[in-house]
Amino acid sequence: MKTHYDVGIAGYGVYLPLYRLPTTEIARVWKGGGAGPNKEKAVASIDEDSSTMAVEAARRAMDMAEVSRLGAIFVGTESKPYAVKPTSTIVAQALGQHFVLASDMEFACKAATEAIQVIRGLVGSGMIQNGLAIGVDTAQGRPGDDLEFTTGSGAAAYVLSRSSPETLATVEAGVSYVTDTGDFWRRQNEKYPRHLSRFTGEPAYFHHVETSVKQLFEAYGLKASDFTYAVFHQPNPRFPVEVAHRLGFKAEQIKTGLLNPMIGNTYSASSPMGLAAVLDEAKPGDRVMIASFGSGAGSDAFALRVTDAIEKKRKKAVKVADLISKNTKIDYATYAKFRGKFTK
Amino acid sequence: MSISYWRLKDRYYRLIGVSCEDCKSEFFPPVHVCRRCGSRKLVDRDMPRTGKIVTYTELRETLAGFEDQEPMLLCIVQLENGVKVLGQIVDTTVENLSIGDKVKAVFRKIQEHGSSGQIFYGYKFVKA
Repeated sequence: MKTHYDVGIAGYGVYLPLYRLPTTEIARVWKGGGAGPNKEKAVASIDEDSSTMAVEAARRAMDMAEVSRLGAIFVGTESKPYAVKPTSTIVAQALGQHFVLASDMEFACKAATEAIQVIRGLVGSGMIQNGLAIGVDTAQGRPGDDLEFTTGSGAAAYVLSRSSPETLATVEAGVSYVTDTGDFWRRQNEKYPRHLSRFTGEPAYFHHVETSVKQLFEAYGLKASDFTYAVFHQPNPRFPVEVAHRLGFKAEQIKTGLLNPMIGNTYSASSPMGLAAVLDEAKPGDRVMIASFGSGAGSDAFALRVTDAIEKKRKKAVKVADLISKNTKIDYATYAKFRGKFTK
Repeated sequence: MSISYWRLKDRYYRLIGVSCEDCKSEFFPPVHVCRRCGSRKLVDRDMPRTGKIVTYTELRETLAGFEDQEPMLLCIVQLENGVKVLGQIVDTTVENLSIGDKVKAVFRKIQEHGSSGQIFYGYKFVKA
């Protein structure tokens, strides 16, 4: 998918809640000891939800972008505070942006890259000047379920604008791939999602991510070695490493954007936050690949080229590494209180 | 959302106060008449989002609807333009607070009307 006008990133912003739950705590309560695949996961506080985190990430992205008007705000999330009532209008109000197309997107963990793809189309066609795509989730796993080890909270926001000397990276190409695959779902009125255990791997994550990346390579004449960095969706620490290996990427290409071991799977924010970690350190001219995965199932893959503007723009960045390292550990009981796991 | 809250949401979401066009004084919450010079020429103004703690207290018994947030920390913050604002301070404990600490405004849930009612958002403060 190419656009009429070149589209770039004018600003990005990430938000991580302060609290971390060590997975040894989950294992202590439910498994009698041990730990999860990731060391810790980020946990939203009792007064945080997808709307509050989206606003915080969006404010940071807008500070960096320095654009006064937005034409669209799309929030990609599967943990909407309201089942009916958009999160995007809350973000619009908090940013003072009212003449916008505002909507929430839902596609499990790839809702944000879907938002990026749509905003790219709106900017690239000349319909709007600037658009905001946000990935945010307060992911929840059923207490005791394996999913509980990794389900984290966080947000990442991107302001996309027509490419100019002010855009810090250009989106060179993007592809999307979907099939009807029932690897993970949540029915209406259910609090926690369900998953088909091992189905999560080969038929879901690996098939879709590999297919979208191969399509990106084929359609645009690219190969793994063309990229300085690659970022994959991170449901656990192992899958992105394995899929990178299968696609011909080396360990040093993926290590900067691999955040799951420290914060868990922030769902819609997962791969966009990995991209932000890369942009925190990338140099002009670097090529970056990002491939998301969303259950149900699909993957969006993009090729980006970092521009000279990165050095100036990221002076305003709140760095992902700083957000990860500034944290307060909590125990399982505090996590249960924060995330509403007690019935009163 | 209660009607009064809905009317004031920009105040709560964005810390919108007013500035007097005659004497340049700024106020939060907004006023209709300048308390310094009596002018009625007041325009909306974004308040600075950073400031320092003037005083604070800890509530272990809160009003109904805020029980889950106990112990609740309340503070008066002097924003960078000198305006003093009352608000909650979160992501810290009373032991870690001191008068003069630098803080910044964040967007948080203030209250929700149970699991089926509306959610009220607004500003709170965290240590900068």
